[in-house]
Amino acid sequence: MFKAIYRIAWKDVAGDLRRRATLSSMLFFAISVLVVFQAAFEPDRKEALRLLPGLLWATTLFTTLVGLGRVFQAEEEDGAFEGLLLASVPRGVIFFGKWLGNLLLTLLVEFLILPLTMVLFNVDAWAHIPAILAILALGTLGLTGLGTLLAAMTRGARSRETLLALLLLPLTAPLLISGVQAVAAILATDGQVAPWLKLLVIFDVVYLAMTPWAFGWLVEE
Amino acid sequence: MNPAVTDATDQPVARLEGVRHRYGRHLVLAGVDLNVARGECVVLYGANGSGKSTLLALLSTRYAIREGAYHLDGLDVRHHGQEARERLLFVGHHTHLYGHLTSVENLLFFSDLRGLSVSEPQLRRALDTVGLAKAADKPVQWFSAGMRKRLALARMLLAQPLLLLLDEPYSALDTQGVNWLNAMLTDYLNQGGAVIMASHDPERVAVLHHRPHHLARGILTPLDTPRPEVA
Amino acid sequence: MNILKKIQPLVGLATLIALAIGLWYVYQAPADFQQGGAVRILYIHVPSAKIALLSYLFLTAASILYLWKRYEGADILAEAAASVGAAFTVITLASGSIWGKPMWGTWWAWDARLTSMLVLLILYKGLMVLRHSLDDPVKGARATAILAIIGAVDLPIIHYSVVWWRTLHQPPSLATGENTAVHITGPLLPPLLILSVAFILLGLYMVTVKARQIEARRHLDALEAARMHHDE
Repeated sequence: MFKAIYRIAWKDVAGDLRRRATLSSMLFFAISVLVVFQAAFEPDRKEALRLLPGLLWATTLFTTLVGLGRVFQAEEEDGAFEGLLLASVPRGVIFFGKWLGNLLLTLLVEFLILPLTMVLFNVDAWAHIPAILAILALGTLGLTGLGTLLAAMTRGARSRETLLALLLLPLTAPLLISGVQAVAAILATDGQVAPWLKLLVIFDVVYLAMTPWAFGWLVEE
Repeated sequence: MNPAVTDATDQPVARLEGVRHRYGRHLVLAGVDLNVARGECVVLYGANGSGKSTLLALLSTRYAIREGAYHLDGLDVRHHGQEARERLLFVGHHTHLYGHLTSVENLLFFSDLRGLSVSEPQLRRALDTVGLAKAADKPVQWFSAGMRKRLALARMLLAQPLLLLLDEPYSALDTQGVNWLNAMLTDYLNQGGAVIMASHDPERVAVLHHRPHHLARGILTPLDTPRPEVA
Repeated sequence: MNILKKIQPLVGLATLIALAIGLWYVYQAPADFQQGGAVRILYIHVPSAKIALLSYLFLTAASILYLWKRYEGADILAEAAASVGAAFTVITLASGSIWGKPMWGTWWAWDARLTSMLVLLILYKGLMVLRHSLDDPVKGARATAILAIIGAVDLPIIHYSVVWWRTLHQPPSLATGENTAVHITGPLLPPLLILSVAFILLGLYMVTVKARQIEARRHLDALEAARMHHDE
């Protein structure tokens, strides 16, 4: 079972590294978003520090959408999705495999974006990098879980990527709120991080418990 | 899951009873009965849109059975979908191959998702049998349709399914490929496997010992002799 | 769906009577000494907000029933409830905004309730768009039902995260919106209760009409598909 999860994730990540498709699109999309924020707000150093949590999460959220738009694209190839469903593993295993592949790519992009943001916006928060990364990663667990389900849901839909954004953004409101507040609390050093981390964990647990089950219902024909 | 090894009772491999299927309000299959025993090959003929592919999708568990019963190896497929999938292999119009993976990697992917433990020499032997030894480490995206089909059929050697479902297996194969496929299927049937295939090609199937059926208006009727089909 | 045809006139009549009584009460009710005449909009706002949420509850129940038993009727009711719920959410947001202008001095404050309502509206819209973006109506129905259930689980999380956000983070001046929104007591209460009942009936009536319309459209689509199939 774990072998199957690993193999699906491996297929997606290896495929991506070989074709350099999603990872580089996500990365360059993230950079463009940062450029847009810079041009739109022109923050000075002090403002940039205040804006940093929001910048990071907004960039992460938009970038995740790019990755999610492609999660099931590889499965469009020659009926591959049907092939996955004919595998003799529970549907949840297929879901977790797809989720893990997307999670790894998204985490990789986040790890690259964080220092980049600090450089581009002249923010001196290098000491907080491990803590911020941990919060980003915590939020990304649930975000990619929900996102992978919605990507499966919108597979074959008209104007799929717009639809994905329309569905994902409202549902991730708690994630955005708690993620931004948690990072802000870390940066403020005297802020309260615990309640927001609790909310992130609730979000993760609820979604990672629900989505494999929902995926099973979704693909049943 | 070697069909030759599992106990050879009289129990049919697959049994369909009164299976009906609708798309929305449109009835595609109006009560299909079918029994397939070990070593038997059933061929489904019928015009386009007669429901052959739907029937195969139901047999493969891709579509859930809503009306009627489907037993595979004695298991009620409605409640044992996963166990049923372990016992069957479906090769349809699509080959379910990933272009960026090599032949070996594609077979490895298949094996891991089926919970098979196969060694790399075993994989390469299977590739050799289907005539793809030279292309073992090449990405599949440049393969011809015939090569893809061969690779898809190599899965059969690894999985050794009890029931093999084929949708137009001869398409994309040249004469040599057809002979090779028929030899492989004959072998498989002799070992006690069962085949259900949809075809337009009575001439190519003729070599195999088989029971032809005709599907029209959602009803499946056995044919006495293989007869040419006008599609 | 025959039952809908039977109950529709009854529900319609009851709605009309309840609305007439309720609105007459509102007309008679005294202006609030703090909020003045503006308080009257709450008689629309509060029941609308109730229906907006009740519709989602109804939609979730219908979705579960559809996934579980595959009754097409449950799916039709879910589709109808989505549009009715969306309509009442819009009324809630608009009336809240109109009330907010004299009370808060702004059309929009990121008050916890209003924010949750706005998210609810986007969710309703998502449900409606998702259904029609998939070519296979059965797939569309199933995907929509699953999304509805996901949303039902998410809505409380959204609500609490927004409340936490507004109370833990923002200065209290705006966070008080939480309490002022439904500060209704004494003589103002009976018309509110009557109007709540009237709005529930109105919501039911709208679902009935919408469901019948959806049923008719699906029937036409099926006939059209059958005709195409026949021609083939």
